[in-house]
Amino acid sequence: MEKEFIKETNSSVTLNVTAGRIDSFREIERTTGTVRVYENGCVGVAGALGEPDEEELTKKAKDALIFGIPYPERLEGALDMEELHDDELIPIPDFIPTMQAFLDRLGKLCPKFAFSNKLSMSRNRTEYRNSKGRRLVSSSSKLSIELLAQNRGSGNLFDTFFVWSGNRLNEDELLAQFKKEYDAFHTSADIAPGRYPVVFSDIETVLYRFFRHFTSDAYAAGASLLNGKLSEKVFSDKLTVKDDMNPLTNHGCCFFDAEGCVAPDMRPTFVENGVLKGLLTTKKSAEQYGIPNLGNAAAEYDGIPQISLHSLYTAPTAESLRELVPGKAVYVVVADGGDSTPDGHFATPVQMAYLMENGELVGRLPVLNISGSFFELLGKDYVGTVRDVPVKEAALTAIIMDVSKA
Amino acid sequence: MIRFKEGFYADVRVEDRYLTTISYKAGILEQMSTRNEKQAFLRVYDGRMWYYASVTDVDNIQRTLDGLYAAATENPAILEDPIVRRFERNRAKLSSFADCSVRDIPVKDKQELLLSYLPILSEDDCVKLPEGTYVDRSSLFSFSSSLGADISYDYQTCGISFTFSMAEDDRQFAGHWSKGGTRFDELRGLDDIIRAAVKEHAFFLRSSVPVEAGRYPVVLSPEAAGVFAHESFGHKSESDFMLSDESMRDEWQLGKSVGSPILSIAECGDIPGAGFTPYDDEGTKARKNYLIKNGVLAGRLHSAQTAAALGEGLTGNARAIDCTFEPIVRMTSTYIEGGDLSFDELTAPIEKGYFIKTIKHGSGMSTFTIAPLLAYEIVNGKLGRPVQISVITGNVFETLGLIDGLTKDVEMLSFVTGGCGKMEQYPLPVGLGGPFVRVSEINVQ
Repeated sequence: MEKEFIKETNSSVTLNVTAGRIDSFREIERTTGTVRVYENGCVGVAGALGEPDEEELTKKAKDALIFGIPYPERLEGALDMEELHDDELIPIPDFIPTMQAFLDRLGKLCPKFAFSNKLSMSRNRTEYRNSKGRRLVSSSSKLSIELLAQNRGSGNLFDTFFVWSGNRLNEDELLAQFKKEYDAFHTSADIAPGRYPVVFSDIETVLYRFFRHFTSDAYAAGASLLNGKLSEKVFSDKLTVKDDMNPLTNHGCCFFDAEGCVAPDMRPTFVENGVLKGLLTTKKSAEQYGIPNLGNAAAEYDGIPQISLHSLYTAPTAESLRELVPGKAVYVVVADGGDSTPDGHFATPVQMAYLMENGELVGRLPVLNISGSFFELLGKDYVGTVRDVPVKEAALTAIIMDVSKA
Repeated sequence: MIRFKEGFYADVRVEDRYLTTISYKAGILEQMSTRNEKQAFLRVYDGRMWYYASVTDVDNIQRTLDGLYAAATENPAILEDPIVRRFERNRAKLSSFADCSVRDIPVKDKQELLLSYLPILSEDDCVKLPEGTYVDRSSLFSFSSSLGADISYDYQTCGISFTFSMAEDDRQFAGHWSKGGTRFDELRGLDDIIRAAVKEHAFFLRSSVPVEAGRYPVVLSPEAAGVFAHESFGHKSESDFMLSDESMRDEWQLGKSVGSPILSIAECGDIPGAGFTPYDDEGTKARKNYLIKNGVLAGRLHSAQTAAALGEGLTGNARAIDCTFEPIVRMTSTYIEGGDLSFDELTAPIEKGYFIKTIKHGSGMSTFTIAPLLAYEIVNGKLGRPVQISVITGNVFETLGLIDGLTKDVEMLSFVTGGCGKMEQYPLPVGLGGPFVRVSEINVQ
């Protein structure tokens, strides 16, 4: 009988902000434990909230074999590896005064904005062991600034976001960027309908709606737009897309998947230089469809591993925003609610965007609609990605899309 | 017995949550689990700051509570604080599901029910990846406060959900059907309904045509109308967004005209279903609240903090997704009230428009969006071909003013998976619904 043991502890300290003032302090620590056992082609799982009792969980997992859930007994082989990126970012007693001072500086720079929402420090520690001798320990922490900004008198729930996460806060650099956005917000801009590079800080706005097509399940069932294209050149030469499990770029994440798989550079690659290199898999789906396992499993503490995408990483193609989009571009801050049709036509409203020229923010655009087709968006219309811009630990991706006014 | 301390406000919320998940993919068992979690969320308020903690060690709540007291500052006048003065001191024991608890139904029965429906998904060859899920949840809540509130009540939902990825020639479509309820027996005897749903999706795969993008009259089903009400106006009624900017109070004065005179949107935690919240997570009893009455802004949703800040009454809308988080202002069950037309009367005046029957998701800020799943043309007042629409969008207030027809009956719905998201807290189960709603013009893409 093969066995895996996983213990995960997530701890966080979160401050709530109302009208630029911190008005609450929340501390959470949550530990979970999981045992999975494998026998006769089936898996049994048991999980517990709180400090895990491995012996008791093992017994319960063995009992759960009776459900007969099919799963391959192919555990990863021996490896001892630790990735510890959990230096204390700000001592907890200093967290409130440090962040209030940051908010006070931000409030002075942006007096027409009323700020609210959350500031948090979080830490994730995951330990994985299996009966093949694999032992992995991942520990990673991050600071998250997720502020909603209301332009005073607008009557809106919020008008724009000021968001950053990482583990090396450079207050001056971040405040300077927020000030640029604030100034652009208060400068009216316009753009004629047409095709423009659209710059996203979160490429998931577009790619998330196509996630299903990259899964091994949909591909094998013939229900993916990518049918028959595995190992073929499908997209732009410039496009490389990975599932980012590297704590150096995806702060706070675990560097291995729920089945203890560690990918090269901790980022399973499914598109490389435009070639569909792999499909999103677990060990089960990889074996079922006879394809290599990229290692994209995630699981509830008491659940069976499922295909998941942890975070997207697109490889950089340019050094600066000016190099990436030298002319006019639309810089998207909020594009919520979009979707695609079955044949891959994607459309979304853009609730908040800036006009960008030569890589610099010019002014605030009215509400827009943007659209494009799957193979073109990631093919001939894919412009590229720039990383550590406009501030360290950020990434921006540009795609040419149809832009019209809402 | 929790020992509360004078000079502070404090409350303790405990949830004993039981969950079942069973899922099959392509006929193979994927998940089979029952989970029983007990968690508590503690709050201490000293009139200046809130101190929160979430614990899984519910046998040692007192120790954590004392830690929060130590972090806060004693305030002899705490009972005069405007937030504290608003808290209700309800004492009640409510048991709605003791006679039909999903905890008492053998997992085998739940599995057999799900298995009985799975073959229907594969009756049409175009279904390439049939997936089925059964989920249930039973929660036993208790709430006590330093003011003497002492409440316990139960909550229950269950449901089945099917997705069927379809493909034929070069056409693809990801179909979905689900049914949620509060009693296991509501999920029996659905064979014909599921069979009809699969056939309709297969017809959509084979016959749907791309939409001609533009602005058209649109008829929303109760499902789409409920999501529209929730996304377009429900979130705007959550008054925590009014706390940071005082000028918001002028912008959102009650009595202001915000929509068509035939439009009324209401909210109530007492409606059975996913949004059932007889007492909110601050111990406030549920009540019916009008957000819009006959086109006029009639009310908004509150926690004690927002009610005190705006000088208004409590509404029973302080909710958290679980005992990991603090309660914030959230919806319970939100719906558009019915009108006086039949469905045929609603579509009759439309020369060319669209009917949104089911949806994938929706969102709303100043602009709302709904991503339809099944949609149909309306031509000369009659339903026509199925159409592929990526999203329908519009300015919220403009669209609320363009509602010009409502059918009589209101249908309430509960989604089986997912729920409402608000910043870090997702998913919160909510109810939503409405009649069939006609809007004279919406941007269709």
